[in-house]
Amino acid sequence: MSAIPAFILPVRPRRSLPGTARVALGVVVFLWVVAALSPLASARAADIRLNERLLAPSRAHPFGTDDLGRDLFARVVAATPISLAIGTTAAAVSVVVGFAIGAAAGWFGGVTDLLLSRGVEVVLCFPVLFLLLALAAFLPPSPATVILAIGLTTWPGDARFARAEILKARDLDYTRAARAAGATTRRILLRHLLPVAAPPLLVSAAFGVGWAILAEAALSFLGVGLPPPMASWGGILAVAPAYIDEAWWIALFPGVALFVTVAAYNLLAEGLRAATTEKVNR
Amino acid sequence: MRLAGSLARVSLAALCFAPACRDRTGAAAPAGRTARAAKSSRAPASPSLLGYLDESLLGTPREGGTLRRRLLGDPATLNAVMQSGAPEQEVLQYVSRNLLDFDSRMQLVPGLAESYAVSADGRSYTFTIRKDAVWEDGLPVTAADAVFTIRSIVDPHVPSPVFKSVFDGLVSVEASGERSFTARFREPYAYRAMAFVLPVLPQRRFSGIDFLRAPDNRAPLANGPYRLASWRAQDEIVLERNPKAWGPRGHFDRVVFKVLPEDSVSYRALTGGGVDETRLDTSGRQRAVSDPAFRSCCRMVEYYDLGWNYIALNNRSPLFSDPAVRRALTMLLDRAGIVRGLFRGSARIISGPWAPDSPAYDPSVPPLPYDPAAAAALLDGAGWRDTNGDGTRDRAGREFVFDLLVSSGTTTGRQIDETFAAELSRAGIHARLRSLEWASFTERVDAGNFEAASLAWSASDPNPDPYPYWHSTQWPPQGLNSGFYRNAEADRLMDAARREPNVDRRNATYHRLHRIFRDDAPVVFVATSSQKFGFRNRVRGLVSSPLGLFGVWPGPIGWWAEDGGGGAPPPKTPGRGH
Amino acid sequence: MTRYIVRRLLLAIPTLAGIVVLVFFLLHLAPGSPMSAAGGESGRRMSQRAADEMRKVYGLDRPLPERFGKWVSRVARLDFGESFVDRRPVLDRIDEALPYTLLLNGLALLLTLAIAVPLGVVTGGRPDGPLDRVSGPLLFALYSLPAFWAALLLQTLFSVRLQWLPLYGVASDSPDGSGLADRVAHLVLPVVCLTYGSLAFYARLIRASVAETRNADYVLAARARGLSRREALWKHAFRNALLPLVTLLGLVLPGLLSGSVIIEKIFAWPGLGRLYFDSILSRDYPVVLALSLLGAVATLVLTLAADIAGAAVDPRVRDGTIG
Repeated sequence: MSAIPAFILPVRPRRSLPGTARVALGVVVFLWVVAALSPLASARAADIRLNERLLAPSRAHPFGTDDLGRDLFARVVAATPISLAIGTTAAAVSVVVGFAIGAAAGWFGGVTDLLLSRGVEVVLCFPVLFLLLALAAFLPPSPATVILAIGLTTWPGDARFARAEILKARDLDYTRAARAAGATTRRILLRHLLPVAAPPLLVSAAFGVGWAILAEAALSFLGVGLPPPMASWGGILAVAPAYIDEAWWIALFPGVALFVTVAAYNLLAEGLRAATTEKVNR
Repeated sequence: MRLAGSLARVSLAALCFAPACRDRTGAAAPAGRTARAAKSSRAPASPSLLGYLDESLLGTPREGGTLRRRLLGDPATLNAVMQSGAPEQEVLQYVSRNLLDFDSRMQLVPGLAESYAVSADGRSYTFTIRKDAVWEDGLPVTAADAVFTIRSIVDPHVPSPVFKSVFDGLVSVEASGERSFTARFREPYAYRAMAFVLPVLPQRRFSGIDFLRAPDNRAPLANGPYRLASWRAQDEIVLERNPKAWGPRGHFDRVVFKVLPEDSVSYRALTGGGVDETRLDTSGRQRAVSDPAFRSCCRMVEYYDLGWNYIALNNRSPLFSDPAVRRALTMLLDRAGIVRGLFRGSARIISGPWAPDSPAYDPSVPPLPYDPAAAAALLDGAGWRDTNGDGTRDRAGREFVFDLLVSSGTTTGRQIDETFAAELSRAGIHARLRSLEWASFTERVDAGNFEAASLAWSASDPNPDPYPYWHSTQWPPQGLNSGFYRNAEADRLMDAARREPNVDRRNATYHRLHRIFRDDAPVVFVATSSQKFGFRNRVRGLVSSPLGLFGVWPGPIGWWAEDGGGGAPPPKTPGRGH
Repeated sequence: MTRYIVRRLLLAIPTLAGIVVLVFFLLHLAPGSPMSAAGGESGRRMSQRAADEMRKVYGLDRPLPERFGKWVSRVARLDFGESFVDRRPVLDRIDEALPYTLLLNGLALLLTLAIAVPLGVVTGGRPDGPLDRVSGPLLFALYSLPAFWAALLLQTLFSVRLQWLPLYGVASDSPDGSGLADRVAHLVLPVVCLTYGSLAFYARLIRASVAETRNADYVLAARARGLSRREALWKHAFRNALLPLVTLLGLVLPGLLSGSVIIEKIFAWPGLGRLYFDSILSRDYPVVLALSLLGAVATLVLTLAADIAGAAVDPRVRDGTIG
């Protein structure tokens, strides 16, 4: 039996999730539970105590304290929903926008395809860092800005992918048959083509979450991420280089949280990919 | 041993005005000690000496060797007129002499100019250039060169961020002979002479070519003790002795500048022997104190300069137009806690718009106290109460919520802002932090397009004139009074001080202003923190001052290497450790 | 085929135009200006008059469309102008930084391929074998390791604590610092940081296509002819994996030009990534525009090259149904 609920995967998985992916799924669930419980830590995470700066990990502060005397464990916990939400939302934005544009280009073809494909190419060749910095400069720093910035730079990959899938499926027999039977474009796209494209898109989205969480961390590290005191793991890490000799724990714990999360999502994605594609013939 | 020698010369800045009371008559340190003996006595000593340091009479200067200095960034140009930042100034100081210089007591002393005279109406300045002043090719430095330099500065086609505003009121500048010239200004100004802490360009090298693209901008003709030997962009600049140097000469044969933007990296370079000096931030100081590698090779120099931290408030905003509210904000910030916690004690709370070592600062004006209860009462009295019970104070339908800008590059600024925001939220005020990168940040602050912003003031000269930053005629967009401060009495005092030729009367006026600033609280005055540098022990002859270690004459030119002509010491672990 | 190439080249023109227009207007409309960035954080605030004059010197007082027209006409003559920061030709500055970026990223790519290709072929030859079971999750773990964090930890361990490797830079400034060993030592950490993350990408790609074909008729036939399993894999299955690899390289190579900003920043590596980042911060419009344009051209040319290589074998692409 599959470990993935059927409502997530429109098609029945051809293979159950590999062991590593099950572990990864467990980690992801655990992270969301932590995220759900994180409001319990938010008061401590915001509690600035200048006389308790840079304390090493101890029983009172399992992860130590940061450069303003805040409990690092509380901060890492409080950052969990922020990083997770940004990662999943950005990936969702990317997949939805990418699928819509890619599918439209693939389905309608002709001038529509030409124009949309140019658009995809422009974004693909666009300097990502520049786009991120420009967006960060234009829009007030907020989770929405960061999500938008990351989503806007990753959708072309999904779009190209969706376009290729639709192109393949457009000429398949059942599509032709559906069209001959008088089905509307909308119906064909949603009822026939989406199910075909869904599993790979889901895999792409799961990889996208990992990528988006990394991208957000990198943005915050460069100083153009979320506004303090709201902190993602990357935001906490941005302080670390200044205190690397004095307070290694500021670099270690948020980094571990970041790594575990991204690894869990990537391993889950790889498991999904393996489960939804034909088993490699031996 | 060393402690006895140098502590005699260290005067605690907090107790008196350091430049005036530096002790130059203390017992001379035993000269000619061996490097080994000096090192062994140094190791257990406290690595930090807070106060002004004068090693210039400690030991006998030795000639030769290489000084390795650290630059924060690659200079954009070595054209003295177009310089815009610290890296350019630090290199040019060795290469180009100024007409006048500041000494470590912040007094003007002759440089290229042997003397100057001011006309009776206080509007004309006539300078005479030294007879022996020559360029590195042997030709004399002339009045025509100086006139050309000043005319370049005021030329609308030449970007000169540093000097442009200094010569704003210039009417004319003419040579009146081979070695003398006269500059005439629209009005007399008490600090006018400071404009002539000014390097000079060789006119002949710029004639007939585009000033902005002259080869000299990257290979300047020297008239100082050193000249440019090589420049590898983004990496290093090498200076060598100028064979035609006149006046005081440096002790080192070569000065190498390494471009190292990151403090943590340059700290490694210091302990590894790659550079002889580096700035330390508060964290770097802490690291150095407990680092055996640092203590075995280096010492710490710590002093207060004229810079200070503050939180700018837009006085035109309905939130901050009431002085009582602004005072309340100051009283909500636990500045003593910041000094202890963030700056680890190496900072002083300030109560006005100068650093305590500026003669304009009145040490008898105490800062507003940290008193959240009194601040709450002030806010209540000003009509800011939480009437709708949402936890935030409001008045006439407006919540007390504002954006607090911070430049994303500054750690200290962000830390102060986060602390401030946390304190305010306990008092029912919601400050939203917004971090912007430098160019966007300054654009908004300079235009007065902000509600509150965390800033650091830094001064490269001792001019205390508050007029450009606090006078009501200097509001944006024309002026730099970007917080839109206005106080009629303060305006009057600032106008009077600018015209007052007598130093003591001028400072008395500033002391009166200081009290007004404290009570008006146009900004939240926070603190002045000490400047901290790590120096390898081989470098001797340091003199620190409120203008820093570098921006004075002779400043770094007076340093020498303890190991003298022995050349650069090979780093202990070549190719590693930095 | 020629028609296909011509068609693709023609299609590249609107793409390029789109990028240029977007970059130009975003850059000039973004908050901040060369005036507000001047001097950096240590710089002195400029008076309004000085700022106005500087604006005029840079030509920034002209209307935006006019500036755009001027820039395009100059670029058409391959004149990228001068840097606002140090007034040197933009191409000189790029020229200085390019070799550093190529060296660092080129080495990283070679190292990646040197590890990923054998690993991909071997694991693809025996999917779900012991090596595959171990290397799969390991590669994904590496792929998930944030590069800036890894760089921070590696620096702390190898440069600060153990002092085995230099912390930053291209070479030491000690007299014996320019030697080859010293330069290699400076490359180790940045190259490692750039390599480990992309390993998964390449190794899994090769593994997938090798696994797909290892039981194909021609591979089986080759084995029947007496080739060993290893020979059959390398000669035939791997050859099949080359095409997707080439396509992937077409997508990845342009990235080598723009460099890795974060890694170059952490290791104080004077490459294009750092130049690009610094130029954006200092609003050095000519440098940012030139780097954006060159990056876009490189991307287009290399994707085109990869697509042509793909088209040479895939008739659907050649006919224009895909691509």
